[in-house]
Amino acid sequence: MAATKKTNSQLVLDGIFLENPIFRLALSMCPAVGLTTSIKNGLLLGTAVLFVQVFSSCTIAAIKNFIHPRIRIPTYTLTIATWVTVIDLVLAAYVPDAYKQVGLFVKLIVAFAIITMRLEMFACKNSVSASWWDGIGMGFGFMFGMVTIGFVRELLGSGMLLGYDVLGFKPLLFFVLPAAGFFCVGIMMAMFNYVEVVYNRRKESKS
Amino acid sequence: MNASIKRSAFRPVWLVLALLFLLAGCEKIDNPFIKKGGFKDARSIMIEFAGAPDASWVSDPANFKVFQKNNPDVLLPVKQVDVGPDKKTVFLKFGEDLDLKLAHTVSMASIPSEGKDMGASFLDVKKSYFGYLFSILIGAMLINNYVFTKYLGLCVFIGTSRKKSTAVGMGVTFTIVIVISAMISWFLYQFVLKPYRLDFLQVVTFIGLVSLTVQAVDTILRKVNPALFKAFGVYLVLVIANCVIIAVPLTLASAEYNAAESFMLALGAGGGFLLALFLMASSRERLELANVPPTYRGLPIAFVATGLFALAFMGFSGMAIF
Amino acid sequence: MNEFVKITFRLTLSCLMAALVMGTAFIFTDKAKKHNEHVNVQTTMLSLLGYSDLNPAPKELKLYSLYRYIIEEKGTTYLGYMVPVTESGKESYELLKLNLEGKLMQRVPMNISPDAAAEDAERATAMKEALKTEQGIAYQDRTVVARLGDQRLAYLLPGKFGGFKTFINVILSLNPDFAIRGLEIMEHEEDPGLGAEISQNYFKNQFRNKSFERLKSLDVIKEPLPDEYRAYLNAPDKMDKDKADAIIKQYGEKDIYALTGSTISSRSVTDGVKNMVKRFAYRIQVLNDVIADQKIPALI
Repeated sequence: MAATKKTNSQLVLDGIFLENPIFRLALSMCPAVGLTTSIKNGLLLGTAVLFVQVFSSCTIAAIKNFIHPRIRIPTYTLTIATWVTVIDLVLAAYVPDAYKQVGLFVKLIVAFAIITMRLEMFACKNSVSASWWDGIGMGFGFMFGMVTIGFVRELLGSGMLLGYDVLGFKPLLFFVLPAAGFFCVGIMMAMFNYVEVVYNRRKESKS
Repeated sequence: MNASIKRSAFRPVWLVLALLFLLAGCEKIDNPFIKKGGFKDARSIMIEFAGAPDASWVSDPANFKVFQKNNPDVLLPVKQVDVGPDKKTVFLKFGEDLDLKLAHTVSMASIPSEGKDMGASFLDVKKSYFGYLFSILIGAMLINNYVFTKYLGLCVFIGTSRKKSTAVGMGVTFTIVIVISAMISWFLYQFVLKPYRLDFLQVVTFIGLVSLTVQAVDTILRKVNPALFKAFGVYLVLVIANCVIIAVPLTLASAEYNAAESFMLALGAGGGFLLALFLMASSRERLELANVPPTYRGLPIAFVATGLFALAFMGFSGMAIF
Repeated sequence: MNEFVKITFRLTLSCLMAALVMGTAFIFTDKAKKHNEHVNVQTTMLSLLGYSDLNPAPKELKLYSLYRYIIEEKGTTYLGYMVPVTESGKESYELLKLNLEGKLMQRVPMNISPDAAAEDAERATAMKEALKTEQGIAYQDRTVVARLGDQRLAYLLPGKFGGFKTFINVILSLNPDFAIRGLEIMEHEEDPGLGAEISQNYFKNQFRNKSFERLKSLDVIKEPLPDEYRAYLNAPDKMDKDKADAIIKQYGEKDIYALTGSTISSRSVTDGVKNMVKRFAYRIQVLNDVIADQKIPALI
């Protein structure tokens, strides 16, 4: 793949919708299931992923000519691990309460397939600024997915949004149970597929 | 290929058995007159003597001082002492539930038997270490299954559970790699990172070790057993993308396990992953034949099915064995 | 060979860069982390004593820590208490070695300030100096004694017991007569939506105001929590006084209402709290007797 011809806004929008890391690419599913009992968790982990993705992409794009092709993957891993350590230290120091809940997953970002994949597919072939926008798109796409699932589960499961009681009762306790994460993700993926099917049908009938 | 899968799948089992055998004979009792002691149920402790102690001594609860090993100053009141029909077995009954997870000590000043004094004893009563290790294994495999109750390793789980043969291959490779890398990282954490207060380098160290292990297994397998490499080589790369492989060393670091316990946890995590993959692959092979709505085909229905498994595994939650 | 050197060089350089970035981040965040942790524990403790931003703690309020050790010496077990003492205005510690029956065996002054004693490493060195040995000393727990002037205001006991799944970490605050002032759940791994509700106000505040006598026979009942009681428990300080008193009068002596679907978690917390208080009450009475008997200028 040669350097991308997409504009910056296209890169960001693709990351959020067409190439959404959770619903479309189906990568980094673990936090989408495990951490979406509330919107807050989704936001926090989303920020961490955004940070790691953007900084790793930029780093790799900047040093792409310096990386020896035979040690490409170890260099990626090292870069990601470094930025994960940095964000892990920062979160642990400044938001200790929230960190307690997402701590394990922040460390696990290092094993998320989405980040390595973007480095391999995009950052090592493109300029720093394009990688920056691609990283932002992917990061926000991930955050968007996390927040959507978190919204549904928090509203239905505990009747709250962002910790505030909005419904005053708990419609379906089932949704905060661990297992419900899988159902939510499955059903929402199906909805994304449905939208695509309808969209394609419209396009066909128009032409 | 089938035979090689079987062989490597059974090797860990033998290791475990050997380890357990070694550990089983470790208990020691300070007085030869006492044969053994143990918990009978939540409210009673059983002591077996070599001979029959005097009936008048045995029946007095004041002769038995029982306390938790880490709370030696707080005595637990013995409500009643029952003697078994053979006169050698004694049951100490308590008014309140004992905490069976902790070691207890029964202190007896001097045990009279048939006119002779058989000496004093501090008898440790605890669940066997053997059972504790086994409970870590089962805990990591079923009760806290990494896929179904901790939702880790899902990418690889969904990706490789389409066919049973792939599932077994991935599971076995993963188990081997995780046991090796977890043991090395345990060692490194306990003897390098912790003493020099380099805790914050956990992530970098552990991911580096995993990559190294994968590379090493790859090289060794390629030279030593090309047939096995042909069967499992493809999965080795995928192992790195699995969060469980990082989560296990992190758990080991925070839980302060010793070597044997770490081994059991890693084995349990690997075995649990294998089990989850196999279960899922079996049901997905069936799903291929089912009439699924088009928008649900593929990933969505796989997730819903995983959700059902997760619900079933919730039934193990809170289960205590041994 | 040339390529080999190249790879090594580049890899080394990458590692050095990574180390530089991580090291800088560590240096910048470490201080803030320690500070925030300290503040966090402090606020939790103060809020357990009933102080908050609206109702700030008075200046005379001081928190002293009491550390308990188990000492094994030649096959006999002793208890070691590191007791904060004051001598002509200077605050330090004294080690009291008690036998299991609660008789004082040895009194050793320790040269360690209260701030230094909060650090594990410093405390271990001080213990080693005091007992002239390293063997058989095992740290057990820490109790914080809150004093207002020279009056004992409350005890704060951090503790840990088994829950439905793994361990539950709590801090308990007790009046000098061992009635419960408050309970805070610090850490747990119960199931979200079920056992995890133990950290909700309407559960943990049920323990408030239970007297020591009541606590000894405290049980868990499987009945729905009455609505007015729940409203009170969710925000006990916001309700007006008369109404709150009426509710306390009606429900104060009741057993703990179990969480729906998590009776075992509820029972674990109840039993855990019960055991913690019973054990502590016994120990502190023994220690009080020794302190009064020996006229130790203790700050607890």
